[in-house]
Amino acid sequence: MTTLTINGKQHTVTAPAGTPLLWVIRDFLGLTGTKYGCGIEECGACTVLVDGGVEKSCDMTLADAAGASITTIEGLSPNGTHPVQLAWIAEQVPQCGYCQSGMILAAVALLKQHPKPTDAQIDAAMTNLCVCGTYQRVRAAIHRAAGN
Amino acid sequence: MPLDNTSIAAPAKLGRRGFITAAAALTGGLLIGITVPGRARAGVPAASVSPVTAWVSIGTDESVSILVGSSEMGQGIISGLPQVLAEELMVDWAKVTTAHAPAGAAYVNPSSGMQLTGGSNSMRGYFSAMLTAGAAARTMLVQAAAAAMGVTPESCTAASGVVSAPGGKSISYGQVAAAAALLPVPANPVILSSPGHYRLIGTPVARPDIPGKTNGSAIYGIDVVVPGMVYAAIAQCPAVGGTFTALPAAPAGTLGVVPVGKSAIAVVAHDTYTAIRAARSLPVKWSIPKASQAINSAAILSTAKTLMTTGAAVVGESSGDIAKAMAGAAKTLTLTYSVPYLPHACMEVLNCTVSITAAGCEIWAPTQAPGLVVMTAAAITGLPAAAIKVHTMFLGGGLGRKFEQDFIAQAVTVAKALGKPVKLTWSREQDFTHDQYRPFALCRVTAGLNADGSVAAWANRIVSPSILGQRGWVPPGGEDGQAVDGAVGQPYALGARLVDYVAHPCPVPVGFWRSVGNSYNAFVVESAIDELAKAAGMDPLAYRRKLLAGNTRALAVLNAAATLSGWGSAPAAGHARGIAYHESFGSIAAQVIEVTQTAATATQPAQIKLVRVSAAIDCGTAVNPDSVIAQVQSGVVHGLNAALWGRTTFSGGVASPENFDNYRMMRMRDMPRIDVTLVDTGGPIGGVGEVGVPCVAPALANAWAALTGLRVRDLPMFNGGGN
Repeated sequence: MTTLTINGKQHTVTAPAGTPLLWVIRDFLGLTGTKYGCGIEECGACTVLVDGGVEKSCDMTLADAAGASITTIEGLSPNGTHPVQLAWIAEQVPQCGYCQSGMILAAVALLKQHPKPTDAQIDAAMTNLCVCGTYQRVRAAIHRAAGN
Repeated sequence: MPLDNTSIAAPAKLGRRGFITAAAALTGGLLIGITVPGRARAGVPAASVSPVTAWVSIGTDESVSILVGSSEMGQGIISGLPQVLAEELMVDWAKVTTAHAPAGAAYVNPSSGMQLTGGSNSMRGYFSAMLTAGAAARTMLVQAAAAAMGVTPESCTAASGVVSAPGGKSISYGQVAAAAALLPVPANPVILSSPGHYRLIGTPVARPDIPGKTNGSAIYGIDVVVPGMVYAAIAQCPAVGGTFTALPAAPAGTLGVVPVGKSAIAVVAHDTYTAIRAARSLPVKWSIPKASQAINSAAILSTAKTLMTTGAAVVGESSGDIAKAMAGAAKTLTLTYSVPYLPHACMEVLNCTVSITAAGCEIWAPTQAPGLVVMTAAAITGLPAAAIKVHTMFLGGGLGRKFEQDFIAQAVTVAKALGKPVKLTWSREQDFTHDQYRPFALCRVTAGLNADGSVAAWANRIVSPSILGQRGWVPPGGEDGQAVDGAVGQPYALGARLVDYVAHPCPVPVGFWRSVGNSYNAFVVESAIDELAKAAGMDPLAYRRKLLAGNTRALAVLNAAATLSGWGSAPAAGHARGIAYHESFGSIAAQVIEVTQTAATATQPAQIKLVRVSAAIDCGTAVNPDSVIAQVQSGVVHGLNAALWGRTTFSGGVASPENFDNYRMMRMRDMPRIDVTLVDTGGPIGGVGEVGVPCVAPALANAWAALTGLRVRDLPMFNGGGN
């Protein structure tokens, strides 16, 4: 039994301690906004915030996640109105949308570190893969959320 | 414990309390209705909802729910088709929610007669049907409203979901929807809108699926949870054509193994991770035929080279006396190009959830072809089609891969064997190595030029595995329209022409990949046109204009891209531009790509740097211009992925790479600026989803040649192994 804090709520999980946080979140807690893409920390679809920082949940074990404060896309705002989410809607960013939970959380972390990010800072921080190729709109949405 | 989320597999606007259920037919021969309870809150009664027609339901709260026969895989069709219907229904867009229709005869694409999403054919195929469906529902609502107000329908007008009668009387759709639903559906309702006088069509409305894709509530196939389900992963023979020799015992910690045909074994567990991990290390002895062991990329190319000269070719297009025209040419060029096998690499891996009970078979899948899913499940379960219910979930990308039935058949087979619901999820490694790849192709253009640079003769031979032939959809030696798509019917003045095709026998499974034959034929033709321009001593744009003289639509699109790119002025020092033009899926596209390169260092050669892509598209009426722009942007990135780095290679029948660490794709840092301009020359509605792809590779290769003098004739342009 491991206790996790996700989106401000404590959950007791029966999964083995070595289970990746991604699959704990998806299969054991039923929060499906966090996506499986590669399982090897390459694509970023599974990105969550751990104590406010970006983490790829496919390569973090349940044991390592215990005690941390974890935010998934479902917990970013109570009603989907975080400034980054609103910017994403205003710029009509998502296409298939599968990578966007991770994209949005990566953007949230970037804006925390750099409230007015430059394009170079966006390039460096936003490493998530989007096969639809929404990058140009992701960039525009980040600038919009930053008030640039 | 896992949650049951099948009851919330609805668009985000409905909220987590909403749900959709298929209901019995109502009137007018409609097959399937829909009920959507309103947003019930404690103490507030739910709105009741009436399915006015098979496509439209209206709630007493004035909500409008519109079903979509196509699959939403990123292209925005779950917004675009309802936008057309809402035009005629006379409702405000803000009131509209949309959802995938179930598999059913009422929802087939009128142009293909099937319920599948491919060939950039949704808007083209359904446009008239959506206008008619909207008009039919509006006619019924007006009729019911007129009856309620005691006036004639002819005296009424409808706007913003309200029917108004002379004398200031009015009544809302929500108030009369239940009565309207009992009326016969008119077969030929009056269409009020017309080109040039649209209210909603042509406006960049916000897509209703987008909010749910920013807050985690959009439910993709991979997210489906049904009560009592178990989780399966798949181990497929690493080599093409191999089989397992014996079924291994169930690994510790799993619930069991299930054979799926002779080449795959499913591992079942209580969670996805356990199943995938066990499948990966499953101790299977595979029997790999000698012929499979001999499959490797070098041998495939070698065979293609032989077939290029000795193979039996099927003529795709022929006009004029090619031999005579070639012999009379002032100059002859022979140009040979190749493209590799390509994986689809959708962000969402293949998956499918199946529940088989005494009542029937229920399937939740990210599928481009719900109609085929019914057939697949019927064949495996022996159930009649009427007992099979298909829920099309959001697709995390489709790209042609999710048209296929392999993953569906596997999940149905496992569910049948287990006697309980199962969700099958492929690992990324299985997804990369068991694709149905964009075919490899070797193509040779032989062109004869006249002294003035015009083309006297054009021969283009394509050697490539046949997607249609592998499936038995065309006989050996038969015409293969997919293989030559984009090579035949070129609008250029090419003199005598011969386009022919030799089917390559390699058994690596090939399939439909965004833009299909156009993905390589445009690369070949548009690279060759640039090489001819150089041989003729002409600017590539001027040369194309010369070969397209008099074709006003083509020239309008070509010139629009050129103007957008600033072609008339010299690029910045150290920069160069390339251009390409291509017609596909009923639309016209032209793109200019501007590139530069980084300085070479002691350890690294010069690297290409993408500066700008200027794209023009003529798809006729753009129902949602912003969605069209988004699709062109997407197509450009897809084309860049393929042209720069994309390839799957084979050794001993085994595909590689197997994950993104050895498959470079465009990331934020690689992105050029992409500008898109829409051109409407008054043609019919054309496709959009695939049209942005074909021009990219040739425009890029042409730009690179202009910059460096190096002509790339073999894709990918660069080694994409590793990131």
